[in-house]
Amino acid sequence: MAATPIPLEAKGIKKRFGDHEVLKGISLQAHKGDVITLIGASGSGKSTFLRCMNLLEQPDEGELIVHNEAINFRTTKQGREPADWKQVERIRAKLSMVFQNFNLWSHMTLLENVIEAPVHVLGKPRKQAIDEARALLDRVGLLDRADYYPTQMSGGQQQRGAIARALAMDPEVMLFDEPTSALDPELVGDVLQVMRGLADEGRTMILVTHEIAFARDVSSQVIYLHQGVVEESGTPADVLDNPRSERLRQFLAPKH
Amino acid sequence: MIDLQGYGPRLLEGAMVTIELAVLSLILAVILGLLTASAKLSRNRLIHGIGTLYTTLVRGVPDLVLMMLLFYGGQIGINMLTDQLYYAFDIDIFININAFVAGVITIGLIFGAYMGETFRGAFQAVEEGQMEAARAYGMSPLLAFRRVRFPLMMRHALPGIGNNWMVLLKTTALVSIIGLTDMVRVAAEATKATHEPFLFMIPVAMIYLLIATLSEWGFAKLTKRYNTGFGESSEWNN
Amino acid sequence: MEQLNGWFTDLLSDNTIFTANTLGFYWGGFVTTVQLVFLSLVIGMILAVPLAIGRGSKRRWIKLPIYAYTYVFRGTPLLIQLYLVYYGVVFFEGIQDSIFWVVFKQAFFPALIAFTLNTAAYTTEIFHGAIKNTAKGEIEAARAYGMSRKLMMRRIILPSAFRRALPAYGNEVIFMLHASAVASVVTIMDLTGAAYYVYARFYAPFDAFIFVALIYLCLTFGIMFVFRKLEKRLLAHLRPRGA
Repeated sequence: MAATPIPLEAKGIKKRFGDHEVLKGISLQAHKGDVITLIGASGSGKSTFLRCMNLLEQPDEGELIVHNEAINFRTTKQGREPADWKQVERIRAKLSMVFQNFNLWSHMTLLENVIEAPVHVLGKPRKQAIDEARALLDRVGLLDRADYYPTQMSGGQQQRGAIARALAMDPEVMLFDEPTSALDPELVGDVLQVMRGLADEGRTMILVTHEIAFARDVSSQVIYLHQGVVEESGTPADVLDNPRSERLRQFLAPKH
Repeated sequence: MIDLQGYGPRLLEGAMVTIELAVLSLILAVILGLLTASAKLSRNRLIHGIGTLYTTLVRGVPDLVLMMLLFYGGQIGINMLTDQLYYAFDIDIFININAFVAGVITIGLIFGAYMGETFRGAFQAVEEGQMEAARAYGMSPLLAFRRVRFPLMMRHALPGIGNNWMVLLKTTALVSIIGLTDMVRVAAEATKATHEPFLFMIPVAMIYLLIATLSEWGFAKLTKRYNTGFGESSEWNN
Repeated sequence: MEQLNGWFTDLLSDNTIFTANTLGFYWGGFVTTVQLVFLSLVIGMILAVPLAIGRGSKRRWIKLPIYAYTYVFRGTPLLIQLYLVYYGVVFFEGIQDSIFWVVFKQAFFPALIAFTLNTAAYTTEIFHGAIKNTAKGEIEAARAYGMSRKLMMRRIILPSAFRRALPAYGNEVIFMLHASAVASVVTIMDLTGAAYYVYARFYAPFDAFIFVALIYLCLTFGIMFVFRKLEKRLLAHLRPRGA
């Protein structure tokens, strides 16, 4: 049987910063439609792991396979690095990332932000990119903000705009790096609602978050990281409702 | 000693003129700058207006034009003044503006305007709470200015003073045009006589670089001292 | 109005200095100054873009020579640079026999070269500072969306750096206009040269230099006005909407 290609697979990812080993061999398989949530205390390595997947950080060991294409590495005196940066750029274009601090390009309007990579990286015709971008902005409720610059919008609006920018790439997998951590509490809801919609329509998503309730709702798999190791992994019911380790129980306990 | 076809010693004398000129102009510029800053911070509209006019005019006109105006015009102006004195009061004096004095006055006047902007910003950066505390402890206005506002202001002003000094140093080269024998003029005369521009201009350029590098180093030291108690470089954190 | 007109005509007919002849000199000087400053700024900016990118390179053999260049040209007076080019140009082997001598024997071109090298050094540092200040997150987003280094430089880093460099570059333009007055030293009839000529001819320093100072003042205000307009348009993204 010719299996449908797995959108993203990471095998035995290790990463060290100086003497400190941040990731001690972590694996993950994201099938089509999966929503995988990474949880863990700060310093557990969850964000670093996510950033290894689109090679914003270079893993020291391990394999990455995106849609049946393995990333080639080579070892130089400075350490391991991708052998072919063109390949990395191509792969990155398939894995849209949404950042904690939004990182919209400040000198472009929201609409220009959304069409930038489709036009200049994917080579889409500008006219088509604009039409698609307007539809996406409508979907995240920001069509009336198309001509605003990022600094002229609230954090929640910027993050929804950043999600529209990610969607415009029609990505294989979407990576979310603590997308609500920098937001005022009253702005978190709108962003989560947009993300829930994406999960419902079957987008493949990998997400790092502190929103445990949200993770329970939308995830197909929850991974709990502790000091660079997968401590527990499974369905939300397994991991969040029946934690096996004392550490995870404490992590999930309401903090007062 | 480096001879440079006999121009070596004169070049060194010229270098001394450059340094003296720069230092004296700096002193004048700092004094004028403090006055200008006070004028621009003054609530008196006339004084404020004079301060603004002065800084706007100086920053809108080339240094060289101001220098020529003051040097060539200054002599005529003073002659007219002394003539008036002679006719009116029978006082007969003759004041001759020499190029060095004209140089110091012009450069001091020009950079007084720039220093004024630097000091104004620095005075405004001093938190009012600091002065309130000084008054609360019974300091007289003068004492509070001398012991609290001024030292705090200097910390904010130092980087600006450093920048102005670097520009001022290069501006001194212009006095060679109005006839003062600084090192640039010696080099220019030597070049015209021998047709060896590199032999004379490059050493002069190197002296400028040397002074600039030394001053940069000196200002870094000073900044460190004035920054005591501010930021993370304080020794208490070690 | 009638009175004012009469007063003005009297003023003009009375003066012996500002005749059509001397005003012609000032006009010629104005044209020369504007040409010299404009050309050196344009060429200097074209040179400064690649230099600023190289100045931020990780490779020492690229960034160190550029740093040395900007350090020397920013650390020494423009007058010295002008003398070096003006008197030094004849030392280029064979230049006096080549077709270029036609242009190089005029003072305009050595001055243009000296001014260009000078403003390129300052502009390189301005652009370098602006490039260095690009928000790390915006660069990261560009990488994450599959941009190559070249595309990222062209679409993200440079457009945003140029905007942020605008106020500092405006100061550089004014600085260059004022610094260009030294051109008069190497026989160029720029604005200052014209003023000096009028001064020497009529021995009238106040009229000659105050008049030229006013022209420079107008030019300076004009430049400031243009840059304020430009900043308003190109830095709109840094201000709240409607401000």
